[in-house]
Amino acid sequence: MIKERSEAMMRSRWFMPAFCLGLGLVVLAASWIGGHPLAGLFSLGVMAAFGLFFLLAVGNETVRGLTVGRDERFAQIDLRATAVAGLVLIITLIVAWLTEIAQGHSGNPYTWLGATGGLAYLLAVAFFRWRG
Amino acid sequence: MKNRVRPLRTERGLAQGQLAEAMGVSRQTINSIENNRYTPSLPLAIALARYFGVTVEEMFDDQGT
Repeated sequence: MIKERSEAMMRSRWFMPAFCLGLGLVVLAASWIGGHPLAGLFSLGVMAAFGLFFLLAVGNETVRGLTVGRDERFAQIDLRATAVAGLVLIITLIVAWLTEIAQGHSGNPYTWLGATGGLAYLLAVAFFRWRG
Repeated sequence: MKNRVRPLRTERGLAQGQLAEAMGVSRQTINSIENNRYTPSLPLAIALARYFGVTVEEMFDDQGT
Protein backbone atom coordinates (compact mmCIF):
# COMPACT_ATOMS: atom_id res chain seq x y z
CA MET A 1 0.00 0.00 0.00
CA ILE A 2 2.72 2.46 1.04
CA LYS A 3 4.93 1.26 -1.82
CA GLU A 4 2.09 1.72 -4.32
CA ARG A 5 1.36 5.22 -3.02
CA SER A 6 5.01 6.25 -3.12
CA GLU A 7 5.37 4.85 -6.65
CA ALA A 8 2.23 6.72 -7.74
CA MET A 9 3.60 9.91 -6.21
CA MET A 10 6.94 9.50 -7.99
CA ARG A 11 5.13 8.90 -11.28
CA SER A 12 3.37 12.24 -10.99
CA ARG A 13 4.62 14.83 -13.48
CA TRP A 14 4.95 17.24 -10.56
CA PHE A 15 7.28 15.05 -8.47
CA MET A 16 10.64 15.96 -10.06
CA PRO A 17 9.88 19.70 -10.39
CA ALA A 18 8.70 19.77 -6.74
CA PHE A 19 11.76 17.78 -5.64
CA CYS A 20 14.12 20.17 -7.45
CA LEU A 21 12.38 23.22 -6.00
CA GLY A 22 12.35 21.70 -2.51
CA LEU A 23 16.07 20.87 -2.70
CA GLY A 24 16.76 24.40 -3.95
CA LEU A 25 14.91 25.85 -0.95
CA VAL A 26 16.88 23.63 1.45
CA VAL A 27 20.16 24.79 -0.15
CA LEU A 28 18.96 28.40 0.12
CA ALA A 29 18.19 27.93 3.83
CA ALA A 30 21.57 26.27 4.47
CA SER A 31 23.44 28.99 2.55
CA TRP A 32 21.50 31.70 4.37
CA ILE A 33 22.40 30.17 7.75
CA GLY A 34 26.02 29.95 6.59
CA GLY A 35 26.03 33.65 5.71
CA HIS A 36 25.92 33.29 1.92
CA PRO A 37 22.34 34.16 0.92
CA LEU A 38 23.30 35.19 -2.63
CA ALA A 39 24.95 31.84 -3.32
CA GLY A 40 21.80 30.22 -1.95
CA LEU A 41 19.58 32.26 -4.26
CA PHE A 42 21.78 31.28 -7.20
CA SER A 43 21.47 27.59 -6.24
CA LEU A 44 17.70 27.97 -5.92
CA GLY A 45 17.60 29.47 -9.41
CA VAL A 46 19.62 26.58 -10.84
CA MET A 47 17.41 23.99 -9.14
CA ALA A 48 14.24 25.81 -10.24
CA ALA A 49 15.56 25.75 -13.82
CA PHE A 50 16.09 21.98 -13.51
CA GLY A 51 12.55 21.63 -12.20
CA LEU A 52 11.19 23.67 -15.09
CA PHE A 53 13.15 21.50 -17.52
CA PHE A 54 11.57 18.32 -16.12
CA LEU A 55 8.13 19.93 -16.27
CA LEU A 56 8.48 21.08 -19.88
CA ALA A 57 10.43 18.07 -21.20
CA VAL A 58 7.91 15.51 -19.96
CA GLY A 59 6.83 15.04 -23.58
CA ASN A 60 10.31 13.77 -24.46
CA GLU A 61 10.29 9.94 -24.49
CA THR A 62 13.54 9.56 -22.56
CA VAL A 63 12.65 12.12 -19.87
CA ARG A 64 9.19 10.57 -19.67
CA GLY A 65 10.71 7.08 -19.35
CA LEU A 66 12.98 8.15 -16.51
CA THR A 67 10.21 10.00 -14.64
CA VAL A 68 6.45 9.59 -15.12
CA GLY A 69 6.42 6.79 -17.70
CA ARG A 70 8.96 4.41 -16.22
CA ASP A 71 8.90 0.85 -17.50
CA GLU A 72 11.21 -2.15 -16.96
CA ARG A 73 13.77 -1.03 -19.55
CA PHE A 74 14.04 2.47 -18.13
CA ALA A 75 14.22 1.00 -14.61
CA GLN A 76 17.21 -1.06 -15.81
CA ILE A 77 18.78 1.98 -17.48
CA ASP A 78 18.31 3.97 -14.27
CA LEU A 79 19.88 1.17 -12.20
CA ARG A 80 22.90 0.87 -14.50
CA ALA A 81 23.39 4.65 -14.67
CA THR A 82 23.22 4.81 -10.86
CA ALA A 83 25.82 2.02 -10.64
CA VAL A 84 28.15 3.87 -13.03
CA ALA A 85 27.71 7.12 -11.07
CA GLY A 86 28.41 5.22 -7.84
CA LEU A 87 31.55 3.67 -9.30
CA VAL A 88 32.84 7.06 -10.46
CA LEU A 89 32.10 8.48 -6.99
CA ILE A 90 33.95 5.62 -5.26
CA ILE A 91 37.01 5.98 -7.51
CA THR A 92 37.01 9.76 -6.90
CA LEU A 93 36.77 9.16 -3.14
CA ILE A 94 39.66 6.69 -3.15
CA VAL A 95 41.86 9.03 -5.21
CA ALA A 96 41.02 11.99 -2.96
CA TRP A 97 41.64 9.88 0.16
CA LEU A 98 45.03 8.68 -1.09
CA THR A 99 45.99 12.24 -2.07
CA GLU A 100 45.11 13.49 1.42
CA ILE A 101 47.12 10.71 3.06
CA ALA A 102 50.10 11.32 0.78
CA GLN A 103 50.07 14.98 1.82
CA GLY A 104 50.39 13.94 5.45
CA HIS A 105 46.77 14.63 6.39
CA SER A 106 44.35 12.33 8.18
CA GLY A 107 42.37 11.52 5.05
CA ASN A 108 39.16 12.96 6.44
CA PRO A 109 36.41 13.44 5.44
CA TYR A 110 37.12 10.92 2.66
CA THR A 111 37.87 8.15 5.18
CA TRP A 112 34.38 8.35 6.67
CA LEU A 113 32.69 8.82 3.31
CA GLY A 114 34.47 5.76 1.92
CA ALA A 115 33.66 3.72 5.02
CA THR A 116 29.99 4.76 4.79
CA GLY A 117 29.87 3.72 1.14
CA GLY A 118 31.54 0.38 1.82
CA LEU A 119 29.25 -0.36 4.77
CA ALA A 120 26.16 0.61 2.76
CA TYR A 121 27.24 -1.78 -0.01
CA LEU A 122 27.76 -4.68 2.42
CA LEU A 123 24.39 -4.06 4.11
CA ALA A 124 22.67 -3.87 0.71
CA VAL A 125 24.24 -7.17 -0.39
CA ALA A 126 23.13 -8.81 2.87
CA PHE A 127 19.61 -7.42 2.54
CA PHE A 128 19.10 -8.46 -1.09
CA ARG A 129 20.63 -11.87 -0.40
CA TRP A 130 18.17 -12.36 2.48
CA ARG A 131 15.28 -11.09 0.39
CA GLY A 132 16.14 -13.61 -2.32
CA MET B 1 18.21 -12.58 -28.38
CA LYS B 2 16.39 -12.67 -31.71
CA ASN B 3 12.64 -12.40 -31.72
CA ARG B 4 9.58 -12.18 -33.98
CA VAL B 5 7.93 -9.17 -32.36
CA ARG B 6 8.26 -6.89 -35.40
CA PRO B 7 6.77 -9.31 -37.99
CA LEU B 8 3.95 -10.27 -35.65
CA ARG B 9 3.20 -6.61 -34.94
CA THR B 10 3.27 -5.54 -38.58
CA GLU B 11 1.15 -8.54 -39.60
CA ARG B 12 -1.56 -7.11 -37.37
CA GLY B 13 -1.07 -3.58 -38.63
CA LEU B 14 -0.06 -2.25 -35.24
CA ALA B 15 2.21 0.74 -34.64
CA GLN B 16 4.96 0.44 -32.04
CA GLY B 17 3.13 2.95 -29.87
CA GLN B 18 -0.08 0.89 -29.95
CA LEU B 19 1.74 -2.27 -28.90
CA ALA B 20 3.63 -0.33 -26.23
CA GLU B 21 0.35 0.97 -24.82
CA ALA B 22 -1.15 -2.52 -24.80
CA MET B 23 1.92 -3.86 -22.95
CA GLY B 24 2.19 -0.92 -20.56
CA VAL B 25 5.72 -0.01 -21.66
CA SER B 26 7.27 2.82 -23.66
CA ARG B 27 7.53 2.88 -27.47
CA GLN B 28 11.33 2.98 -27.10
CA THR B 29 11.21 -0.32 -25.23
CA ILE B 30 9.25 -2.03 -28.03
CA ASN B 31 11.69 -0.58 -30.54
CA SER B 32 14.67 -1.87 -28.55
CA ILE B 33 13.13 -5.35 -28.29
CA GLU B 34 12.44 -5.44 -32.03
CA ASN B 35 16.04 -4.44 -32.77
CA ASN B 36 17.41 -7.09 -30.37
CA ARG B 37 18.99 -4.42 -28.18
CA TYR B 38 16.90 -5.26 -25.12
CA THR B 39 15.82 -8.64 -23.82
CA PRO B 40 12.48 -8.23 -22.04
CA SER B 41 11.74 -9.60 -18.59
CA LEU B 42 9.92 -12.92 -18.33
CA PRO B 43 6.57 -11.25 -17.45
CA LEU B 44 6.81 -8.96 -20.49
CA ALA B 45 7.91 -11.82 -22.76
CA ILE B 46 4.90 -13.87 -21.62
CA ALA B 47 2.57 -10.88 -22.05
CA LEU B 48 3.85 -10.32 -25.60
CA ALA B 49 3.45 -14.01 -26.48
CA ARG B 50 -0.08 -14.08 -25.06
CA TYR B 51 -0.98 -10.90 -26.89
CA PHE B 52 0.01 -12.39 -30.24
CA GLY B 53 -1.33 -15.86 -29.43
CA VAL B 54 1.99 -17.67 -29.73
CA THR B 55 4.28 -19.39 -27.25
CA VAL B 56 7.31 -17.66 -25.78
CA GLU B 57 9.55 -20.14 -27.62
CA GLU B 58 7.88 -19.24 -30.92
CA MET B 59 8.43 -15.57 -30.26
CA PHE B 60 11.97 -15.59 -28.84
CA ASP B 61 14.95 -17.53 -30.19
CA ASP B 62 17.62 -18.17 -27.58
CA GLN B 63 19.87 -19.77 -30.21
CA GLY B 64 20.23 -16.44 -31.99
CA THR B 65 22.44 -13.55 -30.92
